[in-house]
Amino acid sequence: MDEATRLEAKGLARAKIRARRRRVTTIRKRTVRGSIALFAAVWAIVFAQLVSGNDPALSSTPQRTARHSVAATEPKPAPEPEASEEDEPAFESEPEVVPEEEFAPEAEPVEEEFFEEEPEAAPEPEPEPVVTASS
Amino acid sequence: MIAAGAVSAGPHIFWITSRAAGVAALVLSSLAVCAGLLIGARGGALKGFGGDTKALHESLSLATLVAIAVHGAALLGDHYMHPSVLDISVPFTGAYRPFWTGIGIVAGWGLAALGLSYYARRTVGQSRWRSLHRFTALFWALGVVHTLTAGTDATQPWFLLLIAIPTIPAAVLLLSKLTKTEDDRRPRQPPARTPEQAHPQQDRAPSHPAPARTASPSR
Repeated sequence: MDEATRLEAKGLARAKIRARRRRVTTIRKRTVRGSIALFAAVWAIVFAQLVSGNDPALSSTPQRTARHSVAATEPKPAPEPEASEEDEPAFESEPEVVPEEEFAPEAEPVEEEFFEEEPEAAPEPEPEPVVTASS
Repeated sequence: MIAAGAVSAGPHIFWITSRAAGVAALVLSSLAVCAGLLIGARGGALKGFGGDTKALHESLSLATLVAIAVHGAALLGDHYMHPSVLDISVPFTGAYRPFWTGIGIVAGWGLAALGLSYYARRTVGQSRWRSLHRFTALFWALGVVHTLTAGTDATQPWFLLLIAIPTIPAAVLLLSKLTKTEDDRRPRQPPARTPEQAHPQQDRAPSHPAPARTASPSR
């Protein structure tokens, strides 16, 4: 009887160990699958952002500069058409070249400086190319 | 549209991969921290799961380390930033936001060292390893800071929502554990109690001096 109970206990212990190993392997498999699915989902979201043109790094520069151009032209209505004509080609070219946020704030003050400098150079036709050449 | 987008996104594939791996690393590490903190609170929250939480914590931690490795290695293929191996492995040496990126590198190395030390805990020593392993939460917090300060998608609503789901519970569990440990220490230090209560404590004290936490919590 004692040996039989021992064998039963050993069998139960082995069964428990096997069941635990199965659970551990299923947990590991599910974690791997979930991690891959999470990575793929985030990759798809970022890719969709990039394709649709809503990527924060690529589209932040034109949005911010557009806001600044409106804010800068409110007190000074005169240079609006010149500023908008100069900014639009910059919006198209910058996102393709600059894919990072770090360079976005650097571009903002440069364009604001243009708005401030342009009215000073506006009455004379000669200083305008000097300003654009220095930029 | 998709084909045109794929063509335009072609040069940024490594960059997208790095961003996705970084987000995945933060989510997985937050879940791993949650699981690790719930192991300590085994008697309460995850009584039904038992030892499965440990396996979940281990697998999530390994998945986190893989995601961190992909997050750093994918940047090596980015043609715009073009970082060197030193830029992605040595803190505070990169050109892109060196401080916040350096914090992320420190967090990555810390998580790797403390996570992989689990397999060397016999040589390190169980008590030392446990005391060191608690600093994993600090490196996880540094990773969160790195994500919010140097992450490209840090301003996106979907990103903040995705990160908040696992990060906030992990932070709450961490804070609750920190406050609980303080509460546990307070009754241990003043042994002055009434003589009626002293007799049952004398039976418990010599048997379990260190793991007295299990006797006191919310049960």
